[in-house]
Amino acid sequence: MKGDLIRGHLDSLLLAALAIGPTHGYEVIGRMKHASGGELELAEGSVYPALHRLEQDGLLSSTAELTHGRRRRVYALTEAGQRALADRRVEWRRFSSMVSHMLMEAPA
Amino acid sequence: MSADGSPGMSAAADDSPDDPVEAYLDAVLTCSPGSPRQVRRTLAEVEAHLTDSAQALHDAGLSAAAARTEAVRRMGPPTGAVDRPWPAGGLRLPAPVRRRLLLAVLQLGGIAGLFLGLAGAFGAAIRAIWGTTAIATPFPSGSYSQADCRRWLAAYPASHDCTAAMTADHAADFLRNAAVAGLLGIVALAVRQLLKRRRRTVLAGALEPLVGAGLAALCAVGFAGAGFDAVTVTRGQGAGQPLALALAAGCAAVLLAGTARRSAGQPFWRRRPLAG
Repeated sequence: MKGDLIRGHLDSLLLAALAIGPTHGYEVIGRMKHASGGELELAEGSVYPALHRLEQDGLLSSTAELTHGRRRRVYALTEAGQRALADRRVEWRRFSSMVSHMLMEAPA
Repeated sequence: MSADGSPGMSAAADDSPDDPVEAYLDAVLTCSPGSPRQVRRTLAEVEAHLTDSAQALHDAGLSAAAARTEAVRRMGPPTGAVDRPWPAGGLRLPAPVRRRLLLAVLQLGGIAGLFLGLAGAFGAAIRAIWGTTAIATPFPSGSYSQADCRRWLAAYPASHDCTAAMTADHAADFLRNAAVAGLLGIVALAVRQLLKRRRRTVLAGALEPLVGAGLAALCAVGFAGAGFDAVTVTRGQGAGQPLALALAAGCAAVLLAGTARRSAGQPFWRRRPLAG
C-alpha cells in the first residue's frame, strides 16, 4: 500500500499500534508492518515527527528507558489517546463503508 | 542482535565518512528545527532506529554495508524524519499546558466573579444600613440632564428629589452588576468542573491559587485605599462600593492563600493512572 494512502491515517495507525502496549518507534513500525501483512510501504523516518506531534497533543506520553544496553524513548497511549483511538475507529468504519459503497456500487 | 540481546557487532556503527547511517544522521542534524533538546531527542531516536533496522537486515542475510544502506533507504528523506517547525507567527503550546491554562482562567475568573457577587451582597447590606449614598456618590446638580432626571424619578418614584433617585439608580447598578458577575463566576466554575471531569485530569500545584491570592490581595488593598479615601474626603459617600469590594477581595485572598498552602509541594500537572 502506497505511502500517499497511508499519510492521512498515520496518526490513527500509530495509536492503534500503541494500543497493544507501550514501545519504542522501531517496534511501532514493526507492529504496523506485521498488522498490514507486509503491505505497508512507509518512509520509516516519518513516524518520529508523528509520534512527537501526538505526544504534544497529549495523546501519547513517552519515557526514556534503557533497553538492551541502549537508551530508547518508549511511547504509551494516554487516556486521551485511548479515547481518540476509539473515536477514530468509529469514524473510520463510517468513512470506509461510505467509500466502499460509492466505489463498488458505481457501474464498472 | 546477539544472543545476549545486545546490539550485534557486524552491522554496528561505522564512523567512516562514507557510512550511509552517519551521513543520514548528519543530514537529520542539519535540517532539524527546534530546541537543542528536541534535536538531540530526534537524533537519538533515529540513530537507535537505524541501528536496529540495519541489524535486523543483516540478520536476515544482507552484508553489513548493504544492511546499513537499506536501513537508510527505508527511513526516507532526512527532512521527513524531523519535527515540523512551529508555524511562523503562532505559538502552539502543548495540549496539557493549553488545557491547564484554560482551566486556570476559568478557575481564577470564576472565583473573581463569585467574590464580586459577594461584594454585591456586602454592598446590599451597607445600603440597607447606611442608605444609597453609602454606595453611590450623589453627583452635584447640573452634572446631569433633565431627561436623565425624569428617567431616574420614574424608576424610583419614592425618591424625594432627582439626586436621591440618581443615587438609588447608581447604587442599584452596582448591585445588579455584582450579581451578574457572581452568576457568571458560578457558570465559569461549573464549566471548569465539567471540563475537569471530562478530561479526567487532576489539577495539582499551588500556582493558580497563589496567583489568585496575590491578585485578590492587591485588589483588596487598592479598594480599601479607595474606600478610606471616600470616607475621609466625601464623608463616606460612595465608600460602600470600594469597601464592599475590598472585603470580598480580602476573603478571596485568604481563601486562595489557604488553598495555595495546602497545594504547596504538589507537582504542576499529573494525570490519573490508566485503569488496568
